[in-house]
Order: sequence, then C-alpha cells, then structure tokens
Amino acid sequence: MVAVTTNVGRDGKEPGAANVLKLGKAFRYGILGLVGIFFIIPILASARFSFLGNNNTITISAYTQLFSTPQFWSTLFLSVKIGLGTVLLTLALLIPTVVWIHLRVPKLKRVFESISLLPLVIPSVVVTLGVITSFKSLPNIIMGTPVILALEYVILALPYSYRTFDSAVQAIDLKTLVDAGQSLGAGWIKLLRFVVLPNLRSGLLGAAILAFAFCLGEFAVASLLSFTTFPVFLVQVGQVAASQAVALSLIALLFTWMPLAVIIIIFGQRNASSKKKTVSLATTIEQEETTGIA
Amino acid sequence: MTQATNTDSNSNIRNGVKVDLIGLSRYYKDVAALKSMNLSASPGELIVLLGPSGCGKTTALRALAGLEVLDGGTVMIGSKDVTRLPASRRNIGMVFQSYSLFPNMTAKANVEFGLKVRKVSSSERSKRSAELLDLIGLSPQADRYPHQLSGGQQQRVALARALAIKPEVLLLDEPLSALDAKVRAQLRDEIRRIQLELGITTFFVTHDQEEALALADRIAVMRAGEIEQIDTPLSVYSQPTTEFVAEFVGKVNRLSGVIVSQDKVNVESIGSISYDSKNTPFQTGTNVQVLVRPEALGIMISDTGQWRLVSKSFLGASVKLNLTNPTGQKVVVELTTGEATLIEQDSQLSLFGKSDALLVQRA
Repeated sequence: MVAVTTNVGRDGKEPGAANVLKLGKAFRYGILGLVGIFFIIPILASARFSFLGNNNTITISAYTQLFSTPQFWSTLFLSVKIGLGTVLLTLALLIPTVVWIHLRVPKLKRVFESISLLPLVIPSVVVTLGVITSFKSLPNIIMGTPVILALEYVILALPYSYRTFDSAVQAIDLKTLVDAGQSLGAGWIKLLRFVVLPNLRSGLLGAAILAFAFCLGEFAVASLLSFTTFPVFLVQVGQVAASQAVALSLIALLFTWMPLAVIIIIFGQRNASSKKKTVSLATTIEQEETTGIA
Repeated sequence: MTQATNTDSNSNIRNGVKVDLIGLSRYYKDVAALKSMNLSASPGELIVLLGPSGCGKTTALRALAGLEVLDGGTVMIGSKDVTRLPASRRNIGMVFQSYSLFPNMTAKANVEFGLKVRKVSSSERSKRSAELLDLIGLSPQADRYPHQLSGGQQQRVALARALAIKPEVLLLDEPLSALDAKVRAQLRDEIRRIQLELGITTFFVTHDQEEALALADRIAVMRAGEIEQIDTPLSVYSQPTTEFVAEFVGKVNRLSGVIVSQDKVNVESIGSISYDSKNTPFQTGTNVQVLVRPEALGIMISDTGQWRLVSKSFLGASVKLNLTNPTGQKVVVELTTGEATLIEQDSQLSLFGKSDALLVQRA
C-alpha cells in the first residue's frame, strides 16, 4: 500500500502528486512510529516497574540485590562462555562447508539450505535428545559439561547463522576470486586469510551475532538439560521476586545489545557498505530478545 | 622516465617460453569440452583461441592455468610437464572475464598480492607495483579500491596484477567482453603493446573475431572441443580451410556453381569467379558450393543486370549492400563508400567476382 502510493508520487503525472508523496511519507513514518511505540512501551514499563519500591517509592534495590547474588554472575559468565563456544563452533562448521558448497557443488546449495532450516521444523526437544543420543559415546568431558549445550546451540541456531553467512558468500564472486588467488600462487590457507574471509566479514559477523544472541536467550534446552544458564536463572528469579526478574531482563537486554553495538561500530567503520546490513540485523535481534525475555 | 621503466621491466621479465598442449581431453558427463586438443605456442607468441560459446576455448585456457582437471593429455610450459601441478605453483598470470580484483584491497595491494604470497619484501613489492601501475598508466589510482575504478581501469589493474609475479605465460579469458566498444579497442591495443614489450607467451580467449584478427600472431579457431584451423589472422580470414571457419571469421555469401576450368567456377547469376585450386582440385563440371566474401564481389550498373538493391547500411569506410534477383537469390556485397554512392534503389545491377572465392567445396 505504501509502495503503491510512493510510485504514483514519483511518476509525477497525477495532479496531486506532491501531496500523495507527502501522504506516503507520513504514512511510512506513522507505521514506523507505531512499531517503535509497540517495542518501546513494554521496555519503558518494565524499567518503571523495576525501579518501583513499596508505597510507590523509587528504589534501585532490585538491581543491588541482583548484583550481590553470586548466581547472577556465575550464570551470566556461563551463558557468555557457551555463547562464545557456540560462535566458534558455528564458524568452524560454516566457513569450510559453505565455501566448499559454493565452489565445488553449487548444485547442492538448495539442499543444504533446506537442511539448515530443519531445526526450525523439528521441535527443539527432539533435536536436544538427538544430539545427546548421538554423542552418548563421547567422553564425559563433553556430555556432562556445558560443551554439550554449545553443540545443541550450534544446531539450533543454524537456520539463522547459515542463511546469513550463505547470503554473504552469494554476494561475492567467490569462484573467480579463488581462481585469481590460486593463479597468483596463493594456497588455501592464504586464500582464506587474505581473500575469502576479509570479503565475507559482514556475513561472518552476522552469523556470529545471531548465534551469540540465540545462546543468551535460549531457555528450553538449557532447562531440559538442567544447566542454570542466564535465561534459566532469570525464570527462577521470576518465580520468587517479580521486580528482580524484570530488572534482570533489562540487564540481559543491555548485555546483549552492548557487545553488538561495539562490534558493529568497530566493523561498521571499516566497511561502510556492510554497515547498513549489520545495523538492521542487530536491531532485529534486539527486538527478538526483548519480546523473548519480557 | 618511461625509458627507465622500460629497461627495468625488460630486465625483470624473462623471455617468453614455449608452451605445448598435447592431447588435452575433458568430458562433462558424456559431452566433450575438449577432444584431444593439440596446440603449440612458440616463445613470445600471442595465440588467440576463438570460437563460439561452448567450443572449449575457456576450458583449454583453464586447463593450462591448472584451474580445470583434465581427463587426459599433457601441459608443457617450457620443458616442464606441469599437468599435475596445482594452479598456485604454475607461475602463470591470468586475467578473467568478470572483474576479479580483490574488493578488500587497493589497486596497489591487488598488484602486490602475488608477491606478498611469495614472501617478497615490502620494499621490493612497492617498487614492482609502482613500475607496473606506471606501465598500465594508473599510478595516480594506486590507492583506490576496485569499486572506485571503472571497468576498464579494473581490467588494467588485473593485468598488472597478473604480470607482477613475472609469469612465464599470460592467460586472458575474454578480458574485454564486459567493457564498452571504445574502451575495448583501446585496452586491446594496450594489451598487445605490453605483451610485445615484455615478450611474454600469451593465450587470449575470445568469441569476437574482430578482436582476434587485431591481436593475434596466430588464431586457433575452435569448434566442439577441437581446433578447426590454426594460422595467422590473414590466412584464417582469406584462406579458411573449412566452412565453419569461413563463416565464423568474417561474413560470407554461400552460392552454388559449376567448375568450368582448373581455377574457375561459374556461379549462378554472377558468372565466373576464380578460386585457388591447389588444395581442392575439382573436375570440370562438378557441382560445387562457393563461399565468397562480400568484399570479393563487384557491382556493375548495366541494362541487362538482374540484381536489385534491397537495402544499404553505412559502416563508415565501407557500405554493405543487400541485393536480390528475380529467382529469389540473396547476396551481400561490401563496397567502399565512394563506389556505393553510385548505386541507387532502382539501378539494374550485375555482379562479378573481383577476387578469389574463399572456399569451394562439393555441393
């Protein structure tokens, strides 16, 4: 509807073209404003609630209590650790796989894309049990530790990370770049380091951010495997102290958002063209996180 | 300045080497991309592989670069058998059809890439890249990124990058096809100048016959994975050995005729045309097919003339005339612009053979 109005305006043939154009613009900003309000009101309401003490006084006791809870720090640390592990495993899996698919078996692109979407279709409980059964024979160093959770998350976050990285590879002429690099004498390691990865930076960043954000918000699988990660702690707190739980979710929001912002600023400046992509991506994640936790 | 650069590059680049492709075969499932192709290039020679798409010319070039796996055959560079050597160890410079510059590097860094990979010191690299950017006339653009360069500039940088490693062989895979006509002609001449200056053995793939004729020492016309004819541009154009070559390189009229003497053929509605009978002797009275270039026919205005002008197209120095006669035959004749002004829409015209028929073969 918006698009139609704008097109008519651009043609400039209609008598009231300028007015229509203005109307279209107003309409777009109106929608944007509504969506913004839709997202910002719950956050503001949560913030207000978290600062509310007895008899409508304002207090930061919810926060101070949280920060002094040892579990707050230990679960946060655990989730970050699992997140980083998931990111590393995801990249280690994605980079060689996607590069290989694009160079050697481009016909199978669709097949791999569909496979990567399976975790969305299969209930996460099934995936969880599947992973546990598959890795049963592995030593306890994996089974009994959060490493198993990272393995779960690599698979569960695949629909997001795979697509992001795959579309970044699609955007460059990987085959020609690799051919050119090889003809100039570069072996595979140098090709990856100097040619392939630097040109896929936005895709790598996107995949990493999505995988990391996924880990910081995932509750069901962690709870099922009885690991007290940050989101699990959040739910536990919520059952006993409502205002602390809300404070916690705001902190979670901040903790996810801040590193993302830092990464985007650092990488965004180096590559202006990829900046837009990553920023919009981060906004989406932020919104997902908000709705997920609150 | 230019003087100094020239001597520098000459001392840096080794003289061209001999290249032999022996019995190259490549099959995609049942389709042959290369059918036991043989080709030898002498040191410093520029060979153009010319043919329609799918004729195997790019496959041959990529096989020479080591980017294509062969099902059979041997690739020799100099006296070395490189068939089993990966692309990264063949010391070949290659320029690609699509823009292949590394988008994350400046023009200078692109040119230096091959040297960096070879662990050449950074001062040496800078010296070499400055030299090459000067050679292609892009020194002021050294610090620009590929997306800040025009298509023609990008292909020049790609050429400099390929030459930076002092390759033994230079391969160009339709490097000009993405450029507009004027830049294409300019860069074509520049590639030839640099190639001659460095004396590097070069293979150039194209489907553009004009490009091939302008550039090559020898043209290898390819068809369905085989070389149909390999010869100098002049010979390929004026003495094609097969119908395919005659039609692919330049335009031809296809006419039917009867052999009347050892070196003359009588063509319907045109008359006697001479032909070179050395390679294809026919007995008098044989029915033949005659291929004649548009510029090998002449036009006379005469009252008994059967031919009429259908249309004219102005090509600059020459004019292309489409003629027809009452029996429905069609012929294309190319005249100089001066000659063509005399021919008018309602003129009665007769045709004659000005020079030898291109090819005569059994009908």
